[in-house]
Amino acid sequence: MQTKDRVGVFVCHCGHNIAGSVDIKTVVEAVKKIPGVAFVTDYRYMCSTPGQELVANSITEYKLTGVVMANCSPNLHERTFRNLAAKVGLNPYLLEVANIREHCSWPHWHQPEKATHKAITIIKTIVARVKQDAALYPIHSGITKRAVVIGGGIAGIQCALDIADAGYDVHVVEKSPSIGGKMVQLSETFPTLDCPQCILTPKMTDLANHGNITLHTHSEVGEVEGYVGNFNVKIVEKPRYVDMEKCTGCGDCMTNCPVHYQPAIQPKPKYSKYIDKEIIAEIEPIVSPFTGDSSAVVQVLLDINSIYNYLPEDALKFVSEKLDVPLSRVYQVASFYTAFSLTPRGRHIVKVCMGTACHAKGAPRVLDEIERRIGIRAGETSKDMRYSLETVNCLGCCALGPVVTIDETYYHADPQDVGQMFDKFEEDEK
Amino acid sequence: MKKIKTLEELKKLAAELRKKAKTSRKTISICNGTGCLALGAAAVTKAMKSEIKKRKLDVSVVAITETGCHGFCERGPLMVIRPRNIFYHNVKPEDVPEIVETTVIKGRVIDRLLYEHPHTKEKITKADDVPFYKLQTRLVFGSNEHIDPTNIDDYIRIGGYSALPKALKMGPPGIIENVSKAGLRGRGGGGFPTGRKWQGAARADGDIKYVICNADEGDPGAYMDRSISEGNPHSVIEGMIIGAYAIGANRGYIYVRQEYPLAVENYSKAIRAARKYGFLGKNIFKSGFDFDIEISRGGGAFVAGESSALFASIEGRAAVPRPKHIHATDKGLWDKPTVLNNVETWANIPIIINKGADWFASIGTEKSKGTKIFSLVGKVNNTGLVEVPMGVTLREIIYDIGGGIKNGKKFKGVQTGGPSGGVIPEKLLDLPVDFDSLSDAGSMMGSGGMIVFDEDNCMVDIAKYFTGFLKDESCGQCTPCREGLAQMFEVLNDITEGRGTEKHLEMLEELCWGIAETSLCQLGASAPNPVLSTLRYFKDEYEAHIKEKRCPAGVCKSLVTYEIDAEKCTGCTICARKCPVGAISGEAKKPHNIDTSKCTKCGICYDVCKFDAVVRK
Ligand SMILES: Cc1cc2nc3c(=O)[nH]c(=O)nc-3n(C[C@H](O)[C@H](O)[C@H](O)COP(=O)(O)O)c2cc1C
Ligand code: SF4
Ligand code: SF4
Ligand code: SF4
Ligand code: FES
Repeated sequence: MQTKDRVGVFVCHCGHNIAGSVDIKTVVEAVKKIPGVAFVTDYRYMCSTPGQELVANSITEYKLTGVVMANCSPNLHERTFRNLAAKVGLNPYLLEVANIREHCSWPHWHQPEKATHKAITIIKTIVARVKQDAALYPIHSGITKRAVVIGGGIAGIQCALDIADAGYDVHVVEKSPSIGGKMVQLSETFPTLDCPQCILTPKMTDLANHGNITLHTHSEVGEVEGYVGNFNVKIVEKPRYVDMEKCTGCGDCMTNCPVHYQPAIQPKPKYSKYIDKEIIAEIEPIVSPFTGDSSAVVQVLLDINSIYNYLPEDALKFVSEKLDVPLSRVYQVASFYTAFSLTPRGRHIVKVCMGTACHAKGAPRVLDEIERRIGIRAGETSKDMRYSLETVNCLGCCALGPVVTIDETYYHADPQDVGQMFDKFEEDEK
Repeated sequence: MKKIKTLEELKKLAAELRKKAKTSRKTISICNGTGCLALGAAAVTKAMKSEIKKRKLDVSVVAITETGCHGFCERGPLMVIRPRNIFYHNVKPEDVPEIVETTVIKGRVIDRLLYEHPHTKEKITKADDVPFYKLQTRLVFGSNEHIDPTNIDDYIRIGGYSALPKALKMGPPGIIENVSKAGLRGRGGGGFPTGRKWQGAARADGDIKYVICNADEGDPGAYMDRSISEGNPHSVIEGMIIGAYAIGANRGYIYVRQEYPLAVENYSKAIRAARKYGFLGKNIFKSGFDFDIEISRGGGAFVAGESSALFASIEGRAAVPRPKHIHATDKGLWDKPTVLNNVETWANIPIIINKGADWFASIGTEKSKGTKIFSLVGKVNNTGLVEVPMGVTLREIIYDIGGGIKNGKKFKGVQTGGPSGGVIPEKLLDLPVDFDSLSDAGSMMGSGGMIVFDEDNCMVDIAKYFTGFLKDESCGQCTPCREGLAQMFEVLNDITEGRGTEKHLEMLEELCWGIAETSLCQLGASAPNPVLSTLRYFKDEYEAHIKEKRCPAGVCKSLVTYEIDAEKCTGCTICARKCPVGAISGEAKKPHNIDTSKCTKCGICYDVCKFDAVVRK
């Protein structure tokens, strides 16, 4: 395809940093084929003086209309190279950086092929972008240094406090009658496990008392217009039938009001309508004795798991509803313990002990052989649903290691006997 | 079944049961512990039952007892014929008719089934004379081979439940004083003084208190709690009733991992039977004390063995630990004062009450009293469960009881304390085994796993194994443990795959420090121990991996290759037939050859060659 663009691409090795995993030669060859690319070259350090000279000279020599620097993060050298472009008469905004170090060679250090492929993709994307770029020119414009924070949850509160502490005016707009948001509904917070109120309440007070902050509760943003540095925001205050000038916030009206308003907490979903009737019939006798007893979750799930060899989604929903435990917590329990599986398992469950005693006597080799013999890897189920292969921490039969169980039967297994063991099992199964 | 209300009634019943046992002159006790079952004990038991039926032997004269684990699992299925205590091992169903004919009826010994002394080659008739048993002191574990765990009468016959009325008479302060004076320390790993724990809970405010038995046994490579739970559940229950009375609890839980279904079953049966006799329930032994026990099954998570995580699990949540500054004896299960003890700790209680604190304290060392059961496994000749007084040396356990290293290989190290412990090298084999000496050596007593390694085990691989285990078992709640262990595993993986540099060792040490200092629970805090101890005692192995890119033990797959030494190969073709990927070719009686591009390094050829012709480099 013919284009008027003449893009130059400069691929940097960054010493070993990029070239150590990205295959530069392959990249250069691939980039040559991108439409609109007029010139490609690579160099050990593009940011060095000879490197910069190479870029500057090439821009002039090849009459480049756009430049892609494939190297480290734009945080480091975008400015360096844009200044350079400006010096040789190319509008600096026609130069873009393709980050093939922080985004590519480093994180994929051990996967050179994937890294190389990704580097090419990144460069292609940036070339396409450069072709869309227009020359830009800086202008000057006055701005008002004032901020609006929309939403008074913990993020909004912190944000407003930080801006206000830095000395700027802030307007906080909160839809509900109080700031605070959802945080108080959490039980504890990461990583200190502090209670949310303990963190939130002081910040709410700080915000209310901060000289630089104007709080608009029970209000919404009506309209936003303008552009960066020059916005106009319209705030709509909802009627509250209280004279804000006179109200001291004593709260007496709330206790005296005959109509009680429940804060909007989402009603609990009802699952039973949608659950498979057959599953309900099967698990009802297990679950019903524990109706409303949240402490029975683990025990009930263990029993359900032993019926199906796994936990069907519908069963989890039924447990959640009957035991009055949020579905998220039922899932947390179901995914935490190794006894549970969330996907269907095979007719026969093969467990290979990975305990210390078995490990010392060659359990990993036994596992390798079993994987080869039944054609699935640990954690998988065969397509015909015959076997599921699992590793376990200890089968508690350590004197005989390496130990394997098929269903409930224990076997002492040496790597070389694995074949025979399964031959015999399959024979007996018939 | 009549409820038993006084010590006299209990004694009368026990005496009747003993008399009855004497009239049935012969008992054939067949081990039905997990080890023996895996080796075919069920078939042996079945054969024995049908043989006795076929010969129309009077079952009140010849009785079969299906017992729990005897300890010598490696030689299973085991059989002991009383009253002469004749000990047979490796019994097969085909042997049963002969056993009945010769031993049970005619009273003669079958030489072939006797245990042979490994050195003197002398045949040993009695179980007690087998070196493996002879050198042990089997306080807690010894009863297993005498009782059918599903029959409470067997336990009563050997004196079971007699400690309970005695304890009730002592009163709570008396019990606690005895347990303290006996110097019993927790067998679950930490070694916390049991009496002090009970004292704390007894003093704590509140009407509702709990006692819990920790039968989670997450330590991979250990199975003593399983064997007590399956083989003698009443001893644990009796201990729990006494403990509950001492602290004022009316409710108890036994937390058992679901991987032990037989333990769950035997505990359930035992609880039902104890209720029938009135040992559990209301007004036990007319003391006015009520107590009952419930079973809670664990879903399989190592961290669930940690006390606060265990409470969370019983409460129906994910087993996630909480910070340690809250004591379980003040706020444990459901935030009520709780005493959590290990299976073996509970099983020691009736012994202390019956035999007295002074007697108990006379066994063991100054600060570690009584006996400890170890799961002696790995590369020793006699693997199984061994119970020894505290203070015996590692050498005595491994060489005298364990019979030394398998196949004449060289001893390399022994791992104690499970994933939180460390590996102890040969030069420390004379270390006395007690809580404090093991900690000083950079390992710990732990719950009793004792895994022996020989020259064919790679210590870097072992460190990687434990780190991988803990990385998978971290509950993920706090960053140092979750991320730190994952990074540590990567570093160890690099070393075992030949990408290690000097820097890797520095990184390891730094990570170890960070994880140990900043993790929330003991899982994280002790997680670096396997790495630290192997770095301390086996640094040369790390260096061989890093500097020479060589795995001295030939375990780390990326660093080894298999070749056939044409000089030694006789062309027997075994390896070619056994190689699972067909990587070996060659004509019969001519040297064989390995195609390294096909070889998956499974090592089978190395194991099967009888002429040492396969070399691992
Ligand atoms: C990660 C972790 C796992 C544990 N696993 C077990 C276990 O499986 N069995 C056990 O008895 N104690 C285990 N413990 C120790 C218990 O927390 C507790 O200290 C012990 O059960 C108390 O009983 P004791 O005083 O009788 O030893 C574990 C501790 C930690 C930190
Ligand atoms: S140290 Fe590990 S196991 Fe313990 S709480 Fe933290 S993440 Fe969980
Ligand atoms: S098993 Fe050993 S001796 Fe036999 S063919 Fe293979 S290498 Fe040669
Ligand atoms: S190591 Fe395993 S795969 Fe390789 S040649 Fe030997 S038997 Fe075959
Ligand atoms: S280590 Fe495998 S059964 Fe315990």
